[in-house]
Amino acid sequence: MSDAQTSGVDERVKQQSSLRKALIRPELGGICGTVIVFILFFLFAGDSGMFNSQGVMNWSVVSAQFMIIAVGACLLMIAGEFDLSVGSMIGFSGMMIAIFGVTLGWPIWLAIIVTFLMAMAIGWVNGMIVVRTGLPSFIVTLAFLFILRGFTIFLPQVIERKTIIGGIKDAAEGDWLGVVFGGKILKGFFQWLGDNGVIATFERGTRAGEPVVDGIPMLIVWAIVLVILGHVLLTRTKFGNWIFAAGGDAEAARNSGVPVNRVKISMFMFSAFCATVFATCQVMEFGSAGADRGLLKEFEAIIAVVIGGALLTGGYGSVVGAALGALIFGVVQQGLFFAGVESSLFRVFLGVILLGAVILNTYIRRIITGER
Amino acid sequence: MASILKKLALATAVVTAPLMAATGASAEGEKYILVSHAPDSDSWWNTIKNGIALAGDQMGVEVEYRNPPTGDLADMARIIEQAAASGPNGIITTLADYDVLSGPIQNAVASGVDVIIMNSGTPDQAREVGALMYVGQPEYDAGYAAGLRAKGDGVGSFLCVNHYINSPSSTERCQGFADGLGVDLGSQMIDSGQDPAEIKNRVLAYLNANPGTEAVLTLGPTSADPTLLALDENGMAGDIYFGTFDLGDEIVKGIKGGVINWGIDQQPFLQAYLPVVVMTNYHRYGVLPGNNINSGPGFVTADGLTLVEKYAGEFR
Amino acid sequence: MAEPIIRMTNIEKHFGSVIALAGVSVDVFAGECHCLLGDNGAGKSTFIKTMSGVHQPTKGEIYFEGEPMNFGDPRDAISAGIATVHQHLAMIPLMSVSRNFFMGNEPEKKVGPFKFFDHEYANTVTMDAMKKMGINLRGPDQAVGTLSGGERQTVAISRAVHFGAKVLILDEPTSALGVRQTSNVLATIDKVRKQGIGVVFITHNVRHAMAVGDRFTVLNRGKTLGTALKGEIQHEELQDLMAGGQELATLEGSLGGTV
Repeated sequence: MSDAQTSGVDERVKQQSSLRKALIRPELGGICGTVIVFILFFLFAGDSGMFNSQGVMNWSVVSAQFMIIAVGACLLMIAGEFDLSVGSMIGFSGMMIAIFGVTLGWPIWLAIIVTFLMAMAIGWVNGMIVVRTGLPSFIVTLAFLFILRGFTIFLPQVIERKTIIGGIKDAAEGDWLGVVFGGKILKGFFQWLGDNGVIATFERGTRAGEPVVDGIPMLIVWAIVLVILGHVLLTRTKFGNWIFAAGGDAEAARNSGVPVNRVKISMFMFSAFCATVFATCQVMEFGSAGADRGLLKEFEAIIAVVIGGALLTGGYGSVVGAALGALIFGVVQQGLFFAGVESSLFRVFLGVILLGAVILNTYIRRIITGER
Repeated sequence: MASILKKLALATAVVTAPLMAATGASAEGEKYILVSHAPDSDSWWNTIKNGIALAGDQMGVEVEYRNPPTGDLADMARIIEQAAASGPNGIITTLADYDVLSGPIQNAVASGVDVIIMNSGTPDQAREVGALMYVGQPEYDAGYAAGLRAKGDGVGSFLCVNHYINSPSSTERCQGFADGLGVDLGSQMIDSGQDPAEIKNRVLAYLNANPGTEAVLTLGPTSADPTLLALDENGMAGDIYFGTFDLGDEIVKGIKGGVINWGIDQQPFLQAYLPVVVMTNYHRYGVLPGNNINSGPGFVTADGLTLVEKYAGEFR
Repeated sequence: MAEPIIRMTNIEKHFGSVIALAGVSVDVFAGECHCLLGDNGAGKSTFIKTMSGVHQPTKGEIYFEGEPMNFGDPRDAISAGIATVHQHLAMIPLMSVSRNFFMGNEPEKKVGPFKFFDHEYANTVTMDAMKKMGINLRGPDQAVGTLSGGERQTVAISRAVHFGAKVLILDEPTSALGVRQTSNVLATIDKVRKQGIGVVFITHNVRHAMAVGDRFTVLNRGKTLGTALKGEIQHEELQDLMAGGQELATLEGSLGGTV
């Protein structure tokens, strides 16, 4: 017992440099990436309008969109599963709100609540199939990607003979729940900013004199709330420990009495919930639901999560990291436009960032698990 | 740590600098941004890219082409917002969905950016969002005109191969054609998807199941090219009445070979080229045409194909 | 010794036509290390699973602290105080030691209406428990993946002890370990035994069994051939019993008595 390995402080462990220790934080890649991205765009697009109030709002909103679905995807990925039906779920939820609220004429709050229940029920089905059959979630949710997208195109065509249902803005006028998703906050503050010349105001038309940014959209509020909630849930609660455990090694977790199936199913439901938040915000803002909404968003969510340091194999990751990944994604996507880069090159940048993130993550895992 | 960061930043800057310089080099005069709703995979928009590039060269202005990579219109709304925030002189955009795009376009107009609507949307909608004008081909009317023409040629039933079912204007083309024929659209429109092999097989399957179909209507090269292959394969080529929207290499060959009866040319080149010219002149000299510009429809048949053939897919 | 904590008599377990256990009797007393020896396929795994409530026996009785006991599922066994440390450890390499330690039994503290994972408590307890077992962690947030195999076994064992195990079933804890790590684990077993916990040490390595065992039971072809006390039985005898006698004797000859 009194050998070098266990008595006193192990002299070999000490050699770890502080850099390597810092690398073990899953958010580190995200933090570095964010800093680099902002420095680059300050240099190359600083005077392009990217950092005026309109520009900031533009990439913030896009990043917030990514964040909302990334939080769901992140927790699910840490729990060891994927959800490829996120994009289709966005289209489907939006369409259901439109069908309930416009075609059937229900009050919007009811349409939203019923849609949320439906979406979470579908998430539950996703989870049940994965847990019960033991099939890879990749395949199961791929099936739902097609099923939901199919219904999203089919239903409005049958009901309204078109693939876009509009008129939701009128239907949602004055609805208490509609405002929670489609409204804006701090309007007075932004008006004050506009009046005092801090931010630009519209020059002409019916809105002349109003500030170009007239409030923080609820979309951003939702994103921040979900990120905080997700982070606290993951790092500060019993359930969070179970999420890590379920994704790290489901069998080991079961042996320790963690209800792995319940954890996974609830994460599928949460992923569907996040997709529906995204869809509801979008529908309330734009006033219409279309069959093309949310295409490929599942991959964007997964990319944001991976950039944020989560491991594709589950068991490791961070909600804050995923949020930073979403911020990087949004800033790069919109920033390339501001910088005047040919837009078809966006995918090249995305690929490079993704590859870099994955390589860094693999390196991090080697450090953690001590593999060589 | 810091040194790694520095190296990374430097490396990225070195890589990105030429890309940024390449696109920023031509900037002397005004700046115009064209925003389309087309996904990256839609080859028809190449003509549009060439159109604005040529106009940019000729007028000495900076032009940019932007589109949502997946064709998601909500993403397109963000791109318009972004374009407005970058402070160009004008934005040329399609109005694929009024509900989604009218807000961002109106905000752009209100913040002092001139807007011209091209391609999708209607002249009425263009006026409502405060755009200077509309340049394009009213889709329903074009479909209707094509339907009347086909009816004159004795067609009574058809298959509409819709490769872009998400876009209302695509459906309007089919609907207009059906109304022109005086028949119910019903199930004569199929959602073909974007993949050539899928489109071909779906057309084959439909024609197999409905052998009495008298005409095929395709909505662009994306659906026309595989449909040509399908007709070749089942031996209906040259026999079935075949009309298509838009032009492309294969379509031109089909018209020449007598497989395609006509192509409706909405002349996308004009839709991209004219707005740049119009806006540049408006901003430089204050002159503006008094009305909307209809770039189409023009029916292209086997007669007079020379120029079309030469520039198909590039400017036609 | 007094009443055994657990007594299993004539346990049989059939899977369809396959008879995995054909009459096994074992009892475990507090504070002893009962070694269960058997070659691969002797029925060790089935027996452990029966003891820990995963399988219900087809025939035979289980008495727990003198009472007849029927475990419906593993949770019953765990709450009764039977803890199993599996061959494949219930440890997650990417998670920290303290998160692993409390996995499934997370301590919580209330803040207003919300319950949060009590990291402070978890960290202190983990560091203490590890120190007791002679392992100095860099910190409670050190990932289990950085520990050696023996250290992981020790974490798993001390976790079971912390959560009130009365009987600790160790499934081949030394089979994949080097010499030094093995001696660490054996030392840990000794410490646990001294705390008054009954240890069931499953192994096919007679040398390891002889090092810490108080009593020895050999399992062969689904049957027990009786239990021997320490000092009553020799290394070679156990080896022979495990293999069923003759073949190994000849094999041993050819290997020069090194097995």
